[in-house]
Amino acid sequence: MKRRQFVGLLGASALSLLLPGAALADDERKRRSTSTATSTTGTAPVLADTGATGSVVVVGGGMAGATAAKFLRLWGGSNVKVTLIDQNATYSSNIMSNLVLNGSTTMSQLTYNYNALKTLYGINFVQGSVVGIVPPVGTGMGSVRLANGTTIAANKIILAPGIEFDAVPGLTPALQDGYVTHAWKAGAQTTKLASQIRNMPVGGTFVMTIPASPYRCPPGPYERACIVADWVKKNKGPNARVIVLDANAGIQAEKHSFETAFNVTHAGVIDYRPNQTVASVTANTTGGKHAVTTNTGTVYADVLNVIPSHKAGKIITDNPALANVGGRWAGVDVRSYESSGVPNVYVIGDSAASGQPKAGHIANQEAKLCADAITRALRGDLIPNPAPKTNSACYSPITADTASWLTVVYGYDAVNNKMVAVPGAGPIEAAAASQDNFNDMKKWFATLMADSFA
Amino acid sequence: MYRFLAAASLAALFAYSQTATAAPPHPGRLLASNCFQCHGTDGRKGFEELAGKSSSSIYEEMKEMQAKAADQNIMNAHARGFSDNEIWLIADYFSKVSR
Ligand SMILES: Cc1cc2nc3c(=O)[nH]c(=O)nc-3n(C[C@H](O)[C@H](O)[C@H](O)COP(=O)(O)OP(=O)(O)OC[C@H]3O[C@@H](n4cnc5c(N)ncnc54)[C@H](O)[C@@H]3O)c2cc1C
Repeated sequence: MKRRQFVGLLGASALSLLLPGAALADDERKRRSTSTATSTTGTAPVLADTGATGSVVVVGGGMAGATAAKFLRLWGGSNVKVTLIDQNATYSSNIMSNLVLNGSTTMSQLTYNYNALKTLYGINFVQGSVVGIVPPVGTGMGSVRLANGTTIAANKIILAPGIEFDAVPGLTPALQDGYVTHAWKAGAQTTKLASQIRNMPVGGTFVMTIPASPYRCPPGPYERACIVADWVKKNKGPNARVIVLDANAGIQAEKHSFETAFNVTHAGVIDYRPNQTVASVTANTTGGKHAVTTNTGTVYADVLNVIPSHKAGKIITDNPALANVGGRWAGVDVRSYESSGVPNVYVIGDSAASGQPKAGHIANQEAKLCADAITRALRGDLIPNPAPKTNSACYSPITADTASWLTVVYGYDAVNNKMVAVPGAGPIEAAAASQDNFNDMKKWFATLMADSFA
Repeated sequence: MYRFLAAASLAALFAYSQTATAAPPHPGRLLASNCFQCHGTDGRKGFEELAGKSSSSIYEEMKEMQAKAADQNIMNAHARGFSDNEIWLIADYFSKVSR
């Protein structure tokens, strides 16, 4: 009833701008949903002319880039052309990948394709590695260059390459030869670490290192320690240990949940050591223990998992004007995610220094803000988003069937042009880990991935 | 009472915007997109489906959750991040999305 009044007020054509798919007659909707059923099950939204015109290239088809591409089409409409580029044909989710380590899931179950973005949203997906950028000037065209020499032109360029690791002495060959893992870019690394844990001797020692903040997924390493501890105590005898060497002075997120997990739930199994900066790694290539040396000494491991410190993607750190936060991260205007150093180039997700956590749920929200801002710009709309809001939500498994959660809502601080936690709205963590939270986590993950990739 | 005022001012905003060449999006769309990660794109699927729900029921649920213990339910915590006016914009957006 209400909707009818609203249609009356605006006229049906305006409504279709507001509500993707709403202007479709029911029989038309049915026809479309069956005709696109080949690779995806969703319904293609009808894209209207929103007044926005132009082309956008998105580099990186992860949590941030995929979401940006989708919402640029959904909100930008029929005259916004979107090309999404990723070096891989499919995306391996980092989120939930710690559950590969205890055998609860597999990397193939955590693999997402770009079919829905292509067929439902009309996004041009290109597989390739971007090696160079020519920023657009004014309302003109810029371009990105792929490793194979192809260039793709656009009015706006979004960079969403995730993270790169800093070098650790001794680590590169150890990673290459597969003796040591990071498993912090999910995929083959994750599967490798899972099999190393499975093959660990009874009573063995698993050692992991946590880099100095900022790194992606602040609770993630502590979550990993919990999942591995939970598994080894059931499968590798009472003497199996998990040693956590943290470069930080203390637990970086969900302090209450992880202190309880380390000191109560997994007491005696997890040995947590703060202020441990990794100096070097020595892999044992003959089946013996690997060594990791920190500022306080050397620790030996049957299975060694080193998470190196992070910086923005290479495509950003290659360009000092983009990597204008310590040469490592991209400074952005948090109302649009436009680079503070290079106009018409936008940076979203883990590579941006946005004052918010580096995590997939909030990367998805940054992408929507960016898509909205670019849509406005391509309409020639000079009014900036006055009060951006984002939210971070994260579930962390503590055992094979319990989880905790953490959330923050961020609002805009206009004085400092920064996102800050809304007073009273976080960080707030669950009172206790529970099975209900674990079940909610699965639903949250499925919905988040669908909002980003489908 | 406040609710009806907010709804009326929204309607006024739309009427005004019709003078532009292409109508701007619903003013609650971007805010409401904060809900999509858990409630599905445009509030379709996920946890409790929000698409097509009445704006007053969404508003009232959010106000109730704001008053409950934050660490007991993730939505009690989330609800605290939004002002009354923002909740109205979000609720109005979802109420107008077809199911
Ligand atoms: C173990 C683990 C658990 C996690 N758990 C959670 C969680 O529970 N909740 C949460 O919110 N977050 C979690 N995260 C963090 C989350 O995965 C990241 O924050 C998120 O993926 C960031 O999104 P992004 O788009 O910036 O980067 P990514 O998702 O990493 O995507 C970057 C993409 O860019 C591509 N790319 C990079 N450079 C180029 C180039 N030059 N050319 C072409 N393509 C390129 C890559 O192939 C990749 O697909 C977790 C991370 C880990 C490691």
